[in-house]
Amino acid sequence: MFENEIQDFLEKLRTRREFLKLSGRGIATLTVSAAVLNLFGCSPVGESANVLLTAKGMLISEQNRCVGCQRCEMVCSAINDGKIHPFVSRVKIARNFNYGTEISDNYRNVDGYFGNFLMTPETCKQCQEPKCAGACPVEAISLSETLGAWTIDAKKCVGCGACAEACPWHMPTIDPDTKKSTKCILCGACAENCITGALRIIPWEEVTAILNKNGYRFS
Amino acid sequence: MAKITGWAGKMLRVNLTTGAISTVDTMKYKDFIGGAGIGYKIIFDEVPQGTKAYDEANKVVFGVGPLTGTGAPCSGRTNITSLAPTNPYHAVTDSHMGGNFGAYLKFAGWDGIIVEGASNKPVWLRIENDKVTIEDAAHLWGKGTVETSMLLNEEMGKEACIASIGQAGENLINLSSIVNSVNHSAGGHGGILGAKKLKAIGIIGTQAINIAEGKGKDWVDLNAYMMDEIIGANNQHVVPNTPQPWAEFHDSRSRWTAQTALFWGAAKPPVETGECPPGEKNKVGLRTQKAVFDLGPVAEARTIKMGGCHSCPIRCQSNLEVPELEKYGLTRYAASTCINFSSPGSVMLKGYSDGDPKGEVALITKCLGSRLADDYGIWSNYGQLPRDFKYAYTTGKLKEALPKEEYDSIPWDLVESGDPAFLLEFYRRIALKEGEFSHLGDGPYWLAERWKFDEDYWNGNSLWSKMAYPKHHSNESGAQVGVLVNIMFNRDANSHTHQNMIGAGLPTELLREISGEVWGSPDAFDVPQNYTPMNEYKANFAKWSLDRNFLHDSITLCNWVWPMTVSPSKKRNYRGDTALEAKFFSLATGIETSEAELDLAAERISTLHRALTVKNMKTIDMRNQHDTIPTYVFDVDPDKKPFTPGTVKMDKDDMQLALTMLYKAYGWDEKTGAPTRATLEKLGMKDVADELEGLKLLP
Repeated sequence: MFENEIQDFLEKLRTRREFLKLSGRGIATLTVSAAVLNLFGCSPVGESANVLLTAKGMLISEQNRCVGCQRCEMVCSAINDGKIHPFVSRVKIARNFNYGTEISDNYRNVDGYFGNFLMTPETCKQCQEPKCAGACPVEAISLSETLGAWTIDAKKCVGCGACAEACPWHMPTIDPDTKKSTKCILCGACAENCITGALRIIPWEEVTAILNKNGYRFS
Repeated sequence: MAKITGWAGKMLRVNLTTGAISTVDTMKYKDFIGGAGIGYKIIFDEVPQGTKAYDEANKVVFGVGPLTGTGAPCSGRTNITSLAPTNPYHAVTDSHMGGNFGAYLKFAGWDGIIVEGASNKPVWLRIENDKVTIEDAAHLWGKGTVETSMLLNEEMGKEACIASIGQAGENLINLSSIVNSVNHSAGGHGGILGAKKLKAIGIIGTQAINIAEGKGKDWVDLNAYMMDEIIGANNQHVVPNTPQPWAEFHDSRSRWTAQTALFWGAAKPPVETGECPPGEKNKVGLRTQKAVFDLGPVAEARTIKMGGCHSCPIRCQSNLEVPELEKYGLTRYAASTCINFSSPGSVMLKGYSDGDPKGEVALITKCLGSRLADDYGIWSNYGQLPRDFKYAYTTGKLKEALPKEEYDSIPWDLVESGDPAFLLEFYRRIALKEGEFSHLGDGPYWLAERWKFDEDYWNGNSLWSKMAYPKHHSNESGAQVGVLVNIMFNRDANSHTHQNMIGAGLPTELLREISGEVWGSPDAFDVPQNYTPMNEYKANFAKWSLDRNFLHDSITLCNWVWPMTVSPSKKRNYRGDTALEAKFFSLATGIETSEAELDLAAERISTLHRALTVKNMKTIDMRNQHDTIPTYVFDVDPDKKPFTPGTVKMDKDDMQLALTMLYKAYGWDEKTGAPTRATLEKLGMKDVADELEGLKLLP
């Protein structure tokens, strides 16, 4: 069964990788089984990991490893904005720190530090058909072939907030200082500096090497 | 004027008597850095001599510093400065908390909150960036810290950070804490908020903390350098506690517990801590499996993960799943660290029902007690509360003090059988001020007077002095250095600088070598239990330990990890980087500052703390009235002499010499230990000297 899961994953990976190469576009989430995650050194069982296939590589975020230190938000804003500004961070964890996505009557038993302590870093999904770009009235959001990510042209951005509103996860944020929108450009700094490896980007070369080492063909 | 960076640039002043809210320019105080330094200055300048902790005239300063919230490793600390109700002179103390509060205060645009006056009805303070209001708290009064937070999160938004007092603070229990984010508690000032009827402070901040212009990448690089090469595990222990292929050294006492096949066992799926050698910054957060360190191997399977404060990569707070807590009416989740776990264990003075100090019942007890204490907002006084209980119980003083009816109403069978359910009684009676029993929460000085403890009480029970605090890494930790650190404060010495060095895990010879480089001679550092007489290098070590502690509480950084005297890095020959605070400070503030310059600022803060203590105590005779040393330090091991192998025994004359040498190192009066005018002026505090002179308190 594991073998089937892995073969199935490889098939999807090949197709989507082709698509990535052809379009230069980011790709939405891929459901990945435990056996596949195990291949990449992720936790051996369970369902706590999200995997995004991006032009740069596989972005993996594992809820069970996130300790809520919020250093990813610091790193993101320091690198991209030259200041410490979690509010405009492209990766978001603080807003889910206390109670997860909402305060429920059962708050002592569900996600968040007031409950079971669990929290998930949210990252931009670099959607195939991004709602943020679609909603932008001045077409400031476009796909950067070099970055493999949807990026904001600050010169065009008028800071109206339509992108933040349109994104189902409200990932873009208007910087109150610059009045410009911010969104993830897949710079990878958050993952590079994550203290527990809860956020990781595995570059495609490494994905290929890992698969080959385990006897799977992928190129 | 150049843009202010690092600091937010302004502090909030809230007068609860008049309802007036105003701002204060932080930069007026920048020589005192932030946090504790600014706190001391404001209390010195604004709180009249003779004020008691619960008086309307007392003030509480919530202070953070230029590094708080910047993401510098371990910078998530809030320092709270006020007069201490536990102290016989109501002298100044700091209480400290981590969590998110300090960082979020900065994101809201504030370097501190000065709370003054007193409200005549329960209120809470609502801070949403620049919008600050005093709100009615009638619906919160009587509630624990967790429910208070949740109710305020419902009003403010789920992302707000709330600090509050529990029932203990409301009831003016001296041993009360201020708690944010479930389990991050600051000990000793909760009752002052209770006296001011300030139930909570809620913060939402969406602003930036600016750093020096164009230094974003340098900032991340400096963080990465520290993470790769310098930082170790909790308490800056820099070797693992088991032999590992990459490690030249190991030490079984090290808090670097990560190893192959040791897990966060209740994570879904479990996370292996594994080997986390230097250079792998994506594993630093796995190095300290604190649950196993604090609670024993039984905790591994119950560990969900390691929690901790904003920006901290060390994660010393255990986040646990303990289904048995539901039996006591709590949820199954528990979080705490160190003394807040061990303290409830000590309440069970006859042991645990299964007889195992590291067993399941012990774990359940410690989790239950820590949750109750954090929710009621009770401070353990560094574990002294249960020791006072034990003393009173075993000597019969408790039975004498309590009315018979009250004494008989206490379920002593639960104590005798080691049943954790006793903690429900213990903490509730204290927090709700039920009967005479609740006076355990008065703290040692007032309790000893009230319950007529014998004089021998003070020469044992881990007490340090009649300043009403216990010892905290004293003579057993670095001989004279530990003693000198323990005499300085008006509460237990929350100073870990010396202890971290001593416990780093490296071979003694190597630690002595590094000591020589930092404090002038290897003789600053004694071989454990093989002490030598006092020397000037130990005075340097002690002063440096204290100064860095005051610096950390001001800048703010966590003194449970900082300073970086050593590192786990073999290629650095285990040298740390003692200039790292200055490097972060320079990049954050844009004010190029050397290690020596920052140390001078730290010395200023230490001396101001001393001056404030002199003012509070109305005497310059610090040596005899304040800096006292319990006689057990000199009487231990009756058949051994001081400075012989195998004892931590000290010599009385040698310790008086040690005091003199420390006073001299600070430029304080060598006879009394009080700051002199010359030293105060040298440190830019002529106004402090003038005030003390007016009070006839200059030596």
